Amino acid sequence: MIALYIVAVIAVFAVIRATLEKNTGRKLPYVNVMNFAVAGAIVLLLDHPLALAAAAAYFVGSTLEANALASTYAGGDRRG
Amino acid sequence: MDDLVVLLFAAVALIGAVSVYFQRDRFDKLIALGIIYGGVVPFIAVRGYLDVLIAVSLIVPITTIIVLPLCRRDTRDA
Repeated sequence: MIALYIVAVIAVFAVIRATLEKNTGRKLPYVNVMNFAVAGAIVLLLDHPLALAAAAAYFVGSTLEANALASTYAGGDRRG
Repeated sequence: MDDLVVLLFAAVALIGAVSVYFQRDRFDKLIALGIIYGGVVPFIAVRGYLDVLIAVSLIVPITTIIVLPLCRRDTRDA
């Protein structure tokens, strides 16, 4: 049960750091930390065999979202 | 899932929601929308709706990717 508390505190800490960060590029690693913590919390919340598939689906989806945001942010500024 | 964990994940979703309102950059708004999504997902998981969770986990990134062309910097009239 203590593992769930630790994971939830890590998620809140990462969200606070991502919110207070001014640079957009530096927000993205903190959002990744929050996604990993939530994926761990899904497995720790419920003892069910399908929780593994749900956590894997959340992990794949959130990683896809973060990569789409990061690649658009990195390739978006074409000057000249 | 006791009260402390409920408070922590609700804090994740609420911080994301307030952050969407106060961010100026469009990328920052989309990142905060992802934070809201991460805060809502454990509340779906704790009731045992794992099939709903799998569907939501695959649909929400697609919606982000659909909205994402609005945030390219060379499209001023989007």
